[in-house]
Amino acid sequence: MAIAVFFVAAALAVAGGIGVVTFRQPIRSVLSLVVVMLALSVEFLLLSAQFIFVAQLIVYAGAVMVLFLFVIALLGPARETGRGRLRFQAALSGLFVLALLGLLWSMLQGIQYRQPDQGTDLSTFGTVQSIGIGLFTKFLYPFELTSLLLLVAAIGAIYLSRKEGDDR
Amino acid sequence: MTEVVVVTLIKTAIILFALLTAFAYLTLFERVVQARLQARLGPNRVGPFGLLQPAADGVKLLFKETSGPATRDRFLYLAAPVLSLAVAFTAFTIVPVSGPTDLVVLGHRISWYVTNTNVGVLFYFALTSLGVYGIFLAGYASNSKYSLLGGLRSSAQMISYEMSLGLSLVPVFIVAGSFRLVDIVNAQRTWWFALPLLPAFIIYMIAGIAETNRAPFDLPEADTELVAGYHTEYGGMKFALFFMAEYINMVIVSSIATVMFLGGWWGPFGILPGPWWFLLKVVAVLFVYVWLRATLPRLRYDRLMQLGWKSLLPLSLAMMMATAVVVVAVQR
Repeated sequence: MAIAVFFVAAALAVAGGIGVVTFRQPIRSVLSLVVVMLALSVEFLLLSAQFIFVAQLIVYAGAVMVLFLFVIALLGPARETGRGRLRFQAALSGLFVLALLGLLWSMLQGIQYRQPDQGTDLSTFGTVQSIGIGLFTKFLYPFELTSLLLLVAAIGAIYLSRKEGDDR
Repeated sequence: MTEVVVVTLIKTAIILFALLTAFAYLTLFERVVQARLQARLGPNRVGPFGLLQPAADGVKLLFKETSGPATRDRFLYLAAPVLSLAVAFTAFTIVPVSGPTDLVVLGHRISWYVTNTNVGVLFYFALTSLGVYGIFLAGYASNSKYSLLGGLRSSAQMISYEMSLGLSLVPVFIVAGSFRLVDIVNAQRTWWFALPLLPAFIIYMIAGIAETNRAPFDLPEADTELVAGYHTEYGGMKFALFFMAEYINMVIVSSIATVMFLGGWWGPFGILPGPWWFLLKVVAVLFVYVWLRATLPRLRYDRLMQLGWKSLLPLSLAMMMATAVVVVAVQR
């Protein structure tokens, strides 16, 4: 059952990934990326990482991709034109694909499928509580620093988007 | 294993049927209540007390000629209403209708919910954040300026109010100590959370009304300026799907309000069985929805955004911190 779900979600993720690069209309590409996000969230759920499953849905599918959609809707339904291609584009992309596959293959060689560490309580694994405890005890400083970084980024974005002489 | 699958399928079928019936009669309920509030009679001709009105509406919508703009994006135009409705239906799976003991049917213990996951209400937030797509895509795929403006407005509104909606529930998590809806209802056996956490409840209701695009926050379909917003170019059954999604979302916001703040299936004196209390509370919250629509004028768009970002969001944050401080102080 779990294996079947895994392969369906994996196939969807790959199909979505292909869609992102092959669709000509930007909105189709964005929606393909949403499909990838949704399929990945299912894989997280299969790994019993429940919190990451919802976080993936809320943050990536629900917030980041909606921003993408906004940008595309405000720019209008422009189609990508056929110009701007390199002459050796097909050969070059083939080369990159081969290189990437080789990289993946070499990475998978050394992989060890390991069980969770001894003493891990599987009944609370991946739950909101266990992640919350981790974030607020062991990883408190990295967590708080990341939030500071995000705050700085948000302030920077607001500052940059203000026009010159706009004092409101 | 098979038993789990079969039971879940049966529950899903029941939920689909119940939500569709709730949708049909919610339209009638809204029209009748609104008519009474405005000293009118409302629909009363089709069947006894107008009870067959929803059926008549449904048949009419089914037989309507479907038309759409020639320049529409055909696939997305069709996908948008389906997506809206699917998201709305899925959200109900986490709502526990009754408890605390399971239902026993033919020796099988059957729980009163479809899922009781550890992430609980977070799953509902995930679905509401996906609900934006249906509305946005409808506005985009119609290739009409009214639709696009309506779609943009509503997605901006939903994103803004999702924050307050989520944060207004955090005090409940703090007091109940769990995300599971069943645990949250069980924690309200003596006191409903609406009493100690009244500000959070009010913030939740305001944000919930904005989230479902209902009056007085129905700017996405402000008929005086945008014709009908994102579903301007939809007719017949496709329009009905959006309509269904909106009303089912109302039912879900009311159900979550019941579970989180109004004690779910618990009622005083034990005079009614759990499911009836649940239903009664949901209908009471839905009445407030209709009441507000009949009473309040629509907000202006900039005021709506100001209310969301400058009032509700800081208030819900303050409420969250205050609750945390009080809970820690009491535990000490």
